[in-house]
Amino acid sequence: MREQVFVLGGAQTSFGELWNKSLVDLIDEAVAGAIESSGILPTDIDAVVIGNMVGGELSGQGHLGALVSGGLPHHPPALRVEAACASGGVAVHTACALLESGKAENVLVIGAEKLTDAPNDLVTSAIMNAGNSDRDTVAGLTFPGIFGLIANRYMYDYGLTRDDLSSVSAAHHEAAVKNPYAQFKKSIPRDVISKSAPVADPLRLLDCSPISDGAAAIILSTNPSDVQISASQVATDHVSLADRTSMTSFLSTRTAFQNALKEAGWNRNDIDCMELHDCFSIAAILHLEDMGFAEEGQGVRFYKNNQTHANGELPINMSGGLKACGHPIGATGVKQILDCYKQLTNRAPNQVPNCRRALAHNIGGIGATCAIHLLEHA
Amino acid sequence: MPNSAPELHRRLKKIKEQPATPGTLLSFTTIHNPPHGFGSEPYSVGLIQLEDGSRVHAQLTHDGYIPTIGAHVVPRLRRIRTLENGLFVNGYKYEVVETAPEVKLHIQQYVLALTGPSGVGKTTITRMLTSLMSSYADQVPIYTTRQPKKNEVEPYTYVTKQEFDRMIESKKMIAYTHMESNSEERYYGYCRDDIEKIWKSGRLPLVVTDIHLLKGLSESLGRRAILSCGLLPPGKSRRRMISNLLHRLRIRGRDTEAQIQERLKVATYDLDAFDAHPHLFDHLVVNDKLEACVEHIGALAVRPA
Repeated sequence: MREQVFVLGGAQTSFGELWNKSLVDLIDEAVAGAIESSGILPTDIDAVVIGNMVGGELSGQGHLGALVSGGLPHHPPALRVEAACASGGVAVHTACALLESGKAENVLVIGAEKLTDAPNDLVTSAIMNAGNSDRDTVAGLTFPGIFGLIANRYMYDYGLTRDDLSSVSAAHHEAAVKNPYAQFKKSIPRDVISKSAPVADPLRLLDCSPISDGAAAIILSTNPSDVQISASQVATDHVSLADRTSMTSFLSTRTAFQNALKEAGWNRNDIDCMELHDCFSIAAILHLEDMGFAEEGQGVRFYKNNQTHANGELPINMSGGLKACGHPIGATGVKQILDCYKQLTNRAPNQVPNCRRALAHNIGGIGATCAIHLLEHA
Repeated sequence: MPNSAPELHRRLKKIKEQPATPGTLLSFTTIHNPPHGFGSEPYSVGLIQLEDGSRVHAQLTHDGYIPTIGAHVVPRLRRIRTLENGLFVNGYKYEVVETAPEVKLHIQQYVLALTGPSGVGKTTITRMLTSLMSSYADQVPIYTTRQPKKNEVEPYTYVTKQEFDRMIESKKMIAYTHMESNSEERYYGYCRDDIEKIWKSGRLPLVVTDIHLLKGLSESLGRRAILSCGLLPPGKSRRRMISNLLHRLRIRGRDTEAQIQERLKVATYDLDAFDAHPHLFDHLVVNDKLEACVEHIGALAVRPA
């Protein structure tokens, strides 16, 4: 980082089916909470960055930057960024760039999404915009479908069993029990996950993150606070799986994570807890391998051995992750930073003891974009 | 804009320009929740490695052949769907024309063994498994000294007691068990040659065992050569399990009440075997829903050992 960037505070709405709230209601709630928690005045905000994917398709609302800015008394400059499910992470990255360049001193970063107004097939189609329309969408593929292809191949290559795969969602659900903002505050045993309705073989309903509404907002600043962002990296890859060589590894995650470790001067083992992009159970396994926490084919080890809880070997998704806390697409990447912030300031409902360093891993599409943020207690 | 007339026109032009190449299946899935415009029925989609080196996502058709990773597929120009405005969307679907040869490699040199008490559904499950896995699994013939019955479904080979003993002496028979009943004394056994013959043809031998047969197989073939599934009747307690078995034996109507009681005695012994010899079982599967159970065992069997 060319300049030190700190997290002053943040807030999120509950995640879930929030039929009483519109996209704008969600944004307003998160922004008000973030400003209050960070102790700055609204007029201290120099710029606004909002991450959102399908506001246009499902809420008929584009131009979100100005929409948010219009709600602030002094109408600061604002922009919307979109990188599918990594919209939130890329929004944070953009805000870091504004701070590092000296364009701003305090930036309000928002991630927001409203999905549950539309019928499921329309939501599925809208999310599919994150794929390659020429290569993926024409075949009738869906996102669960693409990750189904990946999971099928992974099981074939490495002999992953159905029961082991279910340990991923089971662990994330267990973690969400304590999170008051989570969509599903409920633990679900492995056999129930293995028997849930098929969505895209071999993936079942409880392998998939839900369709959620929600928003999260944070204030980033060059003024010191307890939590510093030590690295902010974004990497990309071909959008379609059909254009890549590997089906079971995401190059973007590998690149972004390596660059982030280098930027922060950390070792992988320095990380005390992480928010991992578990859009599908199989994805969490791939990411752990791509970031080098496990050998190829061994990523499920931490889940299988029950080592992902707060006192485990590698605490993962103390919030419940995308699976159990919910996945309002654009909000996820920002919410991850907020959860890391809570862990590092000892304020998380599912607190990891002595948490000094945290990782937020956020991908878009089939890992065509990956945003990695490393945060530490300053 | 997707699926506008000009977009469809461009795509059709592109399809005409590109030569259609066959390929092999890298992976496949069934979409149970189609996106908008693709109807509501599930369909299969694959990622295909084409012979020209490129890869493509496409829907699969498979009359008769089950898609497998490595399967050979050929392109067929098909109507993918009809849009609300009446326009047709045409494109390639890929037809599975041959199953993957690789699958056989993974299943060589091991035996799928099913063990469970009488009445748990071994025969039914075996029958469903052999039809589900008909392209790569065979049931191993059982040698028995008992008299043939009508409408026998198991692949029994009937031998006399003397022949049976000779097979044991000559070490041809690698596992056997005997069941005492009031009516007759019966022996059952498996021969090494039969299993090796199935292995040689690159297929998976399937055996139905009791604890003695399982022990015998495990000693002669090696424990690691056996994928051993124990079948449990549904029921939370032992009493419920036994009462479930009793119910099944009665509705099956094959035995007299005296025979049922006899079978139940053996079944109790078989249930104890699960606890007494846990090292002999890789998986315990509860047969509460038959299809799910068969699917489960089938999935266990074909994953790379």
